[in-house]
Amino acid sequence: MSMNSKAASAIVLFLVVLASCAVRKSEPVKGTYFQPKNSTVARGEQLYMIHCQKCHPGGEAGLGPAINANPAPQFLKRFQVRHGLGVMPSFKPEEISRADLHAISKYMKQWKHY
Amino acid sequence: MLHRLLFAMVVLATMVLHTGCYRIKKSAGGGQRTQLGERRYAAGDILLPPGYGAQLVASGLNYPTAVSFDAAGNLYCIESGYSYGEDFTTPRLLRLKAGGQTTVIATGDKNGPWTGIDFHEGKFYVAEGGVLEGGRIVEIDPSGTIRPLISNLPSFGDHHTNGPVVRDGQLYFSIGTATNSGVVGADNANYGWLKRKPTFHDIACRDIILSGQNFNTTNVLTEAPADVAITGAFMPYGTGTNKGQVVRGQVPCSGAILRMPLKGGAPQLVAWGLRNPFGLAFAPNGKLYTTENAFDERGSRPVWGAGDVLWEVQQGLWYGWPDFSAGKPIASDEEFNPKKGGQNLRPILQEYPNQPPKPAAIFGVHSSANGFDFSRGTAFGFEGQAFVALFGDMAPEVGKVWSPVGFKVVRVAVATGVIRDFAVNKGKRNGPASWLNNGGLERPVAVKFDPTGTSLYIVDFGKMHTDATGSHPQKASGAIWKIYKK
Repeated sequence: MSMNSKAASAIVLFLVVLASCAVRKSEPVKGTYFQPKNSTVARGEQLYMIHCQKCHPGGEAGLGPAINANPAPQFLKRFQVRHGLGVMPSFKPEEISRADLHAISKYMKQWKHY
Repeated sequence: MLHRLLFAMVVLATMVLHTGCYRIKKSAGGGQRTQLGERRYAAGDILLPPGYGAQLVASGLNYPTAVSFDAAGNLYCIESGYSYGEDFTTPRLLRLKAGGQTTVIATGDKNGPWTGIDFHEGKFYVAEGGVLEGGRIVEIDPSGTIRPLISNLPSFGDHHTNGPVVRDGQLYFSIGTATNSGVVGADNANYGWLKRKPTFHDIACRDIILSGQNFNTTNVLTEAPADVAITGAFMPYGTGTNKGQVVRGQVPCSGAILRMPLKGGAPQLVAWGLRNPFGLAFAPNGKLYTTENAFDERGSRPVWGAGDVLWEVQQGLWYGWPDFSAGKPIASDEEFNPKKGGQNLRPILQEYPNQPPKPAAIFGVHSSANGFDFSRGTAFGFEGQAFVALFGDMAPEVGKVWSPVGFKVVRVAVATGVIRDFAVNKGKRNGPASWLNNGGLERPVAVKFDPTGTSLYIVDFGKMHTDATGSHPQKASGAIWKIYKK
């Protein structure tokens, strides 16, 4: 298999995985309670509720796609939040500060592995 | 190194493709996937946090919307008598007995939907939506005699008279707005009421000054294809407005929470600027809260991306409708601009009565946050938290969604705004039970703790299919579930 076909296969596989990624993350589904591991994660969860929850409730799909199974590194996700993508709006520093964005990122990371 | 670069590129490309395909993706709401037909009931298909169990209390109900308890702890429910989709049935107050048996206590007129109930000092108080004759609050004694406390409330439109809740000799209730975002349009004809009430429109609670925006639609009230209706906000269909025009406020009004003495008297304004304040409940600390069904992406002034809200209600405040969503201005903001047509939203009002407050919590867009109640002690747990029924989206009529939204019960820590799922359906994805091919929750419309605070009752409206032609509810598919601590 050539490098190009490998890349194409990887993209197709990736799209299939993402398209089907409805990884459910919630206390009833997991059967355990979610505990933020520190104050930054706890603050990040509160900020997620203000800015992100309405389109990605619990990280699952809603108005927007699911993000729980999104394998992108956190810096790429922060980039997307800051600059928007497609119909997703951008959130400027006046709306979500750098520190708050990192707190959201920390929460999303712990939630992803919950 | 090459592999890492390739991986990053693939991830980035996928993110672009994944988020970029919203515009071409078909809506996939829970109502669109609901299959009408015989309903299964299986408490085991409802997933709960550790330490809780579920059981079915009653089934086969016609559009139940709320439950209450009398002084002896007996359980009652109301059947709505009306559902979106223009399905008129009979509003009823039922007593629910062990084993799912029901006794009819009272029967209402063809003026539903009955949306809420409270019990106070030997009598029931019910909010009658009033799609045909106007909203009412009625008092029902245990023998079934119905006595209106207030009538002719302006709720002929998209949203109805809701509530009520009794506290300190006052009866609190709410009235939803006539329209989605202030302007009567073709969408209101689709809902069914515009042709019944062609001059009905939103009513301001206090004097407001308009920006003078007008909206053109093909006139849905005439047969002539070239006839155009020009309509401004807070006006009848086909009536325009001018910049600086003053609309005089009056009570009762649209999009408001009101209260009146239980002994009778004129209603007073508690709060306004709320699109559809459906649920009303007092927290253990005595503060009043409401759930607000937020904007849809429909009609002459569609709004995208507006999450439903839980508000702490403060006396006299304006909460932002029709120019704010969850405390944020919607004008010229990509977060709220409609995706159909791409036009920028502009303000309806020239001046704002006050800066809207911050919400207690923001729910999923189109989740339809409805009836709720507070846990009052350690018997059930989560003391002081609000348990909220999310009825579920009604896409595509309300707008497009990527996947079903709602169809569950969540709990909210009102001090922090953190929302956690509490009762959801078993399955690989979230959605109504009929889509997941199980016997769990269909459309939770309200919740209520029993008087001892040990059990939470979920009112499940039943099946409702939705498509481009509107809503298609299914009679006799409603249920009451009980959630208990093991």
